[in-house]
Amino acid sequence: MAKVLEGPGMGLMKKWGIVVPNFVVVTSVEQLEQLAQANDWIQKGKLVVKAHEALGSRFKLGLVKVGLDRAGAKAAVAEMLGRQVGSITVSQVIVSEMVPHKDEYYVAVKSTREGAEVLVANCGGIEVESNWDRVKKLSVEVGDTPSSDALEALAKQAGFSGDLAKKVAEFAEKLFACFDKEDAQYLEVNPVVAREGGGELVALDAVTLLDADSRFRHPDWNFHFAAEFGRAYSKPELEVMAVDSKIKGSVKFIEIPGGDTAMLPAGGGASVYYSDAVVARGGKLANYAEYSGDPPDWAVEVLTDKVCSLPGIKNIIVGGAIANFTDVKKTFGGIIAGFRKAKSEGKLNGVKIWVRRGGPREKEGLDAMRALRDEGFDVHVYDRHTPLTDIVDMAIKGGK
Amino acid sequence: MSILANKDTKVVIQGGAAGLNAARRMAEFCYMIKRPLNVDAFVYPPDSGKTNEVPYGAGLVTVPVYKSVAEATAHHPQINTSLVYIGADRACAAGMEALNDPRIQMVSMITEGVPERDAKLLARHATKLGKIFNGPSSIGVISAGECRLGVIGGAFDNLVACKLYREGSFGVITKSGGLSNEIIWICSQFANGITTAIGIGGDAYPGTDYVSYLERFEQDPQTKAVVIVGEMGGDLEERAAEWYGAKARRIKLLAVVSGFCQESLPKGMKFGHAGAKEGLKGEGSARSKSDALKKAGALVPETFGALGPAIKSVYEELLKSGQVRPIPELSAADLPKLPKTVEEGMKTGEVMVAPLVRTTISDDRGDEPLYDGYPASELINKGYEIPHVIGLLWDKRLITKQEAEIIKRIMMLSADHGPCVSGALATILAACAGIGMSQAVAAGLIMIGPRFGGAVTDAGRYFKYAVEHKMTVDDFLAYMKKEVGPVPGIGHRIKSVRNPDKRVKELVSYVKGVGMPTPHLDFALAVEKVTSAKKDNLILNVDGTMAAVLVDLGFPVDSLNGFFILSRTIGLIGHWVDQRRQESRLIRLFDYLVNYAAPKRREVPPLK
Repeated sequence: MAKVLEGPGMGLMKKWGIVVPNFVVVTSVEQLEQLAQANDWIQKGKLVVKAHEALGSRFKLGLVKVGLDRAGAKAAVAEMLGRQVGSITVSQVIVSEMVPHKDEYYVAVKSTREGAEVLVANCGGIEVESNWDRVKKLSVEVGDTPSSDALEALAKQAGFSGDLAKKVAEFAEKLFACFDKEDAQYLEVNPVVAREGGGELVALDAVTLLDADSRFRHPDWNFHFAAEFGRAYSKPELEVMAVDSKIKGSVKFIEIPGGDTAMLPAGGGASVYYSDAVVARGGKLANYAEYSGDPPDWAVEVLTDKVCSLPGIKNIIVGGAIANFTDVKKTFGGIIAGFRKAKSEGKLNGVKIWVRRGGPREKEGLDAMRALRDEGFDVHVYDRHTPLTDIVDMAIKGGK
Repeated sequence: MSILANKDTKVVIQGGAAGLNAARRMAEFCYMIKRPLNVDAFVYPPDSGKTNEVPYGAGLVTVPVYKSVAEATAHHPQINTSLVYIGADRACAAGMEALNDPRIQMVSMITEGVPERDAKLLARHATKLGKIFNGPSSIGVISAGECRLGVIGGAFDNLVACKLYREGSFGVITKSGGLSNEIIWICSQFANGITTAIGIGGDAYPGTDYVSYLERFEQDPQTKAVVIVGEMGGDLEERAAEWYGAKARRIKLLAVVSGFCQESLPKGMKFGHAGAKEGLKGEGSARSKSDALKKAGALVPETFGALGPAIKSVYEELLKSGQVRPIPELSAADLPKLPKTVEEGMKTGEVMVAPLVRTTISDDRGDEPLYDGYPASELINKGYEIPHVIGLLWDKRLITKQEAEIIKRIMMLSADHGPCVSGALATILAACAGIGMSQAVAAGLIMIGPRFGGAVTDAGRYFKYAVEHKMTVDDFLAYMKKEVGPVPGIGHRIKSVRNPDKRVKELVSYVKGVGMPTPHLDFALAVEKVTSAKKDNLILNVDGTMAAVLVDLGFPVDSLNGFFILSRTIGLIGHWVDQRRQESRLIRLFDYLVNYAAPKRREVPPLK
C-alpha cells in the first residue's frame, strides 16, 4: 500500500470529475504570494491552511487552520513551514479555498478480496467514526462497475433522498471510477459537502492509498508516495530501499530506535516469525530486516553494514528457514563481508551473532560462518536441525 | 494421493530464464521419483521455435518453446497446468491466456509485485471457469512422490532429506515460500512427511485461499492433518478458522500466525510480504487470527518453534488410532542420488580429469588476476609497469628497472612508422571500408612477417646461434649464405651508412651506455661492419637491433616478434581511430598506379 498526500490525491479525484476545492501546495510564503496574483480565490475568499505531510492528528498539533483571510493564511504558512514533528519537518503546506456548507457526508471505496466496497453515509467528519452503523455498503466484483441505479439505491439506503440521493450516487460513481482506473486500494472522502447556494457536492478531504505495484501502468503519477508510518525514512533506510529497487530479490530495513536485538534474517515470512520470537521472549527489536529471492551478495553486504551500525546492539539474529533457491553460501558471503567491514571500523564489540539457516549450499555457508570464530567474532552457528527461532531464545537468555 | 499436482500433471511454463530454472528444479524431482520430466513445453515469444535443454539425471531433455499457450497445448494435448514466470507488467495477460486455454485446469503464478486488481481479475476469471489460479508470488506446489511445480522444496539434497520421494500424511499451506520448505522439513522430522505443500503467496489477495485448499485436503483420504502458516493482514486465516469450525472435519488443523511483533512496532510498518499488514483499524492482526483459529478447534502452538512438537503429537495420535501406519525408512544405499557434476565430483575426490590445457603464466580464479603468481594490483601499487608485466607473461620473470627501461624504449621506437608501410596501410584500407577495430587492426598485424617487422625472431635466432657457437663474422656470413640466405636484421630499403636509421643509433648508444654485457649486440654490429662495407644499405636495421638487445636481455627467441607486434599495435589502433575520426570514405587504388600487364580483351571461345 502506498499513501498519497492530499494534494496529489485531490488531483487524481479531479481527473475523474470529482469537484474539489481550489488548492495550491506551497513550500514558501513567497510562493503563496506569487500564486495569489494569479488566483482570485486566494485574494478574496476564506482559506484553509494545512501541513502537507504524512502526519496524523494535524488538528491537535495546530497544523490545520481554517477560516483565514489572505494575511492570516500567509501567517499560518510561515508558522507551519519548518515545524519539526518527530522526525518529520513540515516542508509543504496546502492552502485551499474554504467551501461554505452546512451538512457533511461520507463516501469511500475500499478494496476487498472480491473487488471493492462502496461506502456511503449521510453524516461526515468525526461523526462517522461514532456512527459506523449509518455507513451503508455496496459490494462490487472486480471488473464490474456499479450501476447508477444501484448507487442511488445505496444513497437512499443511507438516508439520502430526492435530488441529493442522485448527486451522492453520481459522486460515488466518479469516486469508484477513480478507484478502479487508478489502481487504488482505498479512497475516502470525508467530508463530502454540499456547497451553499448551488448544492454542488465537493470533496473537502481525501485519503488516497494506491497500489504501488501498478505504477508501471500509470505514467502520469508524478508524485512520491508518503512515508508509511508517522516518521520520515532515515538515511540508512533510504539507502537500503535504493538497493532494493535495483536488484533481483529483495532487501528490507526499518530501524526501531532503542532496541538491542538486531535482525538480519532471510525471508519475508520467516523474518516476521523471528521478530515475533524476540518480542515473545521479552527482547527489544532494534530493527526489522529481511533479504530474500536470492539477492546479490553485495546487496546483502549493504544490508549487513546498516544492521551492524545500529547503536547499542547486543545480539544479531542471522536467522532463516530452509531456502528454496536462495544460495546460502553466496548470501552469507555478503553478510560475512559486512561483518568484517564493521569489525575493521571498530563495530560489533561485545556483540553476539546467532546464525541458523538451511538451503542450497547450506554446509559451505554455515562452515564459512563458523570460521569467523577464528577471526575473533562471537558467532554461534546452527543448522536445520535446530528449530527456526531457537537462536532467539538462546540469544536473549544469554543476555540475561 | 495428493491434491492439485499429481502423476498426471503435465506442465507448460510461461517465461524465460526464471522458467527454465524452475524446469531444472522440477527435473531433479522427476529424476528422484524415477518419472519422466513433467514439463512438456515452454511459452516465450522471443524464443519461439527454439528449444530449451533441461538437465535430467546424467542427460539432457529437449523441451520446445512456443509462441502461445494455444500452440503449446495443440502440440502437447496432455498439458493441464501452467506455471507463469512472466514479469509483473505482463503477468495478468499471461495468466488469462493460460486460463482461457480449454486444456489447462490450473495456473500457478510465481511473479511478485503483480497489481492487486490483476490478481483479483485472474482469481475471478478462474472461479468463473471452474479452474484454479494459485498465487501470485507463489513458490509453487509439491506433492510428495508425485509432482513438483516450481522451485518449492529447494535443492536436491533437501528433497531427499525431507523424504519427498514418498508421501506422508500432512498437508501444508503457507503464504511464505521459505517457510513452506521449513514446514516440509519439520513434517519429515517430527512426523511421516507431507502429501501436498502449497505456497499461496504473500500478497494481499491470493488467487486461491486456505479454504479452497482445505476442502480439497478434506477430500483427500491420504491427508490426515493440515498445517497452515499464516501471517497478519487480510482475513484468510479468519476464513480458514470459520471453515474449520463450521462443522466436524476429518482433517486435523494446525496453524501458526506471525505478526505479534506488530503490537510493539510502529503502526503501518511494512514487512517483507505485500499482504503482511494490519488493516487501517487493526483488523487482521496476528492475535485476532490466532484466537479465531484456536476458537475453531485448530491446534495453534504459541511459537513457530513449538510447531515441531505439536506436529509430532498429532502424528503420534494418528499412529495410536491406527489411521496412519509407520512407513519403513529407506536405507542410505537406496536413497535416490543425483549424478554429480564433474566439478562436484572433483571437489569430493571421486573423479579425476585429465586437463585439456596447461598454463604456467597466469590465473584469474581468485578475486584478481595473478601474473606468474603476483597479484596485478600489488604490482601496480609497488610501482611496476607494463614492461614488467611483459617480462612476467613472456619470460616468467620479474625484470629489473634497467631492463624495463630498455623494453620501454624498444616499444616506443617501433610503435608506428607512418601510413605507408604494409601494416598501417592494411589497417587504413580496412578502416576506410568500415571494418571494426579488432578486424582492421588484425588486417595490419597479418602483414607482419618475413618482409615487414617479422624479422626480429629470426634475427635473434641466428645471432644467438652464432654467439653460442663462437662463430667469427666471416664464418657466420658463410653459414648464412649457404644455409639461410640474406641475414635477417640486416639491410634496409631506404636507410644506409650515409643515411643511418636514427632509431637504431639511439637504441644502440643507450644500451651500450648502461654497462650491461651485450655479446649479441656486439656481434650484430660486427656483422654490420662487414656487410655495409660490401653494400651501403646492408646496415643493422631496427629488427636486428631489437633482436640482438632482447637476446642480450635473455628473452626467449620465440617471444621476440611479440615486441614488434605489441608496439606496432599501438600505431595500428591509432590509424584506425584516426580514419574513423575523419569519417574517411571507402578508398581504392587509382588505375594509374597499376600496370595492367594482363592480356588485352579477346573473344571467349565456345565451351567444349
